[in-house]
Amino acid sequence: MNFFDTYIIEPLQYEFIQRALVASITIGISCGLIGTYIMLRRMSLIGDALAHAVLPGVVISFMVAGKGELSLFVGAVIAGIVTSLLIGFVNRNSKIKEDASIGIIFTGAFALGVLLVSQLKQVHIDLSSYLFGDVLGVSTGDIILSMIIMFVILLCIILFYKQLLITSFDPTMAMTIGISVTIIHYLLMSLLSMSIVAGLQSVGVVLLVAMLITPPATAYLLTDSLKKILVLSSLLGVLSSVIGLYLSYHFNFSSGASIVLVAVFLFTLAFIFSPKEGLVTKFLRKKESANLVMLEDLIKFAYKFADAKTKEELVRKISAELGYKIGKIQSLVQQVSLKGYISSANGTYKLTAEGIKEALRLIRTHRLWETYIRKENITDIEHVHPEAEKIEHVLPEELVDELDEELGFPEEDPHGSKIPRK
Amino acid sequence: MSAITVKNLTISYHKKPAIKGINLSIEQGNVIGIIGPNGAGKSTLLKGILGLLPFDSGDVKIFGRDISELRKRISYIPQREQFDWDFPINVEDVVMMGRYAHLPVIGFPKTQDKEIVEQVLQKVGMNKYSDRQIRNLSGGQQQRIFLARALAQQSDIYFLDEPFVGVDAKTEQAIFNLMKELKDEGKTILVVHHDLGKVLEYFDKLIMINQTLVAYGDAKKIFTTDIIHKTYGGRLTILQKTEELIS
Repeated sequence: MNFFDTYIIEPLQYEFIQRALVASITIGISCGLIGTYIMLRRMSLIGDALAHAVLPGVVISFMVAGKGELSLFVGAVIAGIVTSLLIGFVNRNSKIKEDASIGIIFTGAFALGVLLVSQLKQVHIDLSSYLFGDVLGVSTGDIILSMIIMFVILLCIILFYKQLLITSFDPTMAMTIGISVTIIHYLLMSLLSMSIVAGLQSVGVVLLVAMLITPPATAYLLTDSLKKILVLSSLLGVLSSVIGLYLSYHFNFSSGASIVLVAVFLFTLAFIFSPKEGLVTKFLRKKESANLVMLEDLIKFAYKFADAKTKEELVRKISAELGYKIGKIQSLVQQVSLKGYISSANGTYKLTAEGIKEALRLIRTHRLWETYIRKENITDIEHVHPEAEKIEHVLPEELVDELDEELGFPEEDPHGSKIPRK
Repeated sequence: MSAITVKNLTISYHKKPAIKGINLSIEQGNVIGIIGPNGAGKSTLLKGILGLLPFDSGDVKIFGRDISELRKRISYIPQREQFDWDFPINVEDVVMMGRYAHLPVIGFPKTQDKEIVEQVLQKVGMNKYSDRQIRNLSGGQQQRIFLARALAQQSDIYFLDEPFVGVDAKTEQAIFNLMKELKDEGKTILVVHHDLGKVLEYFDKLIMINQTLVAYGDAKKIFTTDIIHKTYGGRLTILQKTEELIS
């Protein structure tokens, strides 16, 4: 038997694993979708709060209606909505800010839940699976419930996509066109409470906020489009749940903890390697722009020392000016000639027409910037040169033209050097 | 019929009145500046007319009717700093929000809506940027996107909150041209503005406000040293002082 059969296929023969797998997938999708909006609306704290605060709802419905998926569901959703109403009420009617009122209400509700559990004499609620999740213990009823929840969430997000988008991005405009920010808020709170009920099975109350926030945050690092974030964060949610489930089965880990750690691991990967925002990308980008500065400096000085008789003389002069070793300058010359700015002629390097144009562009930017910061009195005459050395590599041509116009197309920079015209 | 009628409007924050007893009757087809110092209640007045804040007392009518019946005929451009510019949304999607008022509760944008979005983006010179994430725009470009969004709403009254703050000359000119163009089409434009520099150039009429209405009328007539002094008077009025005590 190979690895795949032993570790992936073999567990699937057990019915409880099949159930856990289906539950994990639906929960990953539900939490990934709702979590995206929770993250974008900066409501992570409310997500955490509601997860805790559904406990008294669950216990009370258990006391009233007995054990059953539906009563658990109804109790949790009611508790979720009551909690978010209370948070809003305290917030609006006192000077207590939202974070503090969240802290007060959810710990209070959770404590009430714990107290009620301890009073349940005849039947036993397993508080630890409630707190930390037990995905291997899901029943068929649980699965049906979490599938229904997933479809309700999916449907609401598709139907009310524009309302959710506009109230998240620009609530004031939403109000001016008659979209009720309050109704959408409580719709989202209801959906959140539902996804919490689903998520309780896999990761439990304490870690639930991780399922809501970590996959969307990971997706957010990878793309700039809301629709892609929704899809990607569901996929990441599913991936974390499934991998976490297998780890939990094979190593006898707590299911909640392993699911959350997988999600955090995926986040860490995105944080380091994301093509847009990752640490590696930032590092490479920084290196690249440092290289660009060196190449542009080289072109500028090749223009300045255009009268050099031999290749060696030119390289030596530039090396003295820039303070880099001869070998470094030679490698830069190679790179620049590949771009077609320099060519070899009559035993020396000559800038091509393109190269001369580029050199003049840099000089123009440099001298216009010097003129500008002198005129605006931003710095004194000794410091204009180093400032312009930095700016000449980053200022886009469009802005340089605007600067030129604003300065009235000056002839000379503050040092009396001629400013090249376009 | 006046475009906007405001009667005895008072709005408070935490029991302190921000504006008090404002009466206005604004005719259609004007560019009107709302002028006053910081904390004078300029934005409050704008939001009050838009029905975004609860009134202590008073009444606002748009074309003689309650604003809730006329949502499609007004558009609002908020101050730029209130947005989360990292939000995962591109230029086209922001402008498409301008079409939301015309869509049914459950319903998606149609080809016609997409054409309108394309047109207004062209009008503000931003059609090349329709896929751009909004963070990757300059301040002036961002402001033009929100202008485009308001235009996509095809309204009769436009409310602009400090549109000239932090924009480049090109955008300033674009906003100014648009205001003129809209006015020529018979639209009404209300602009919150705190800089006294180009007031006469920008506006036909002025609402000079400092909690209470100091003056309302033709810009050329009421933009006088005397009225400016009254509006920006510096010291608290007796009325404001008494309110400090009783609030």
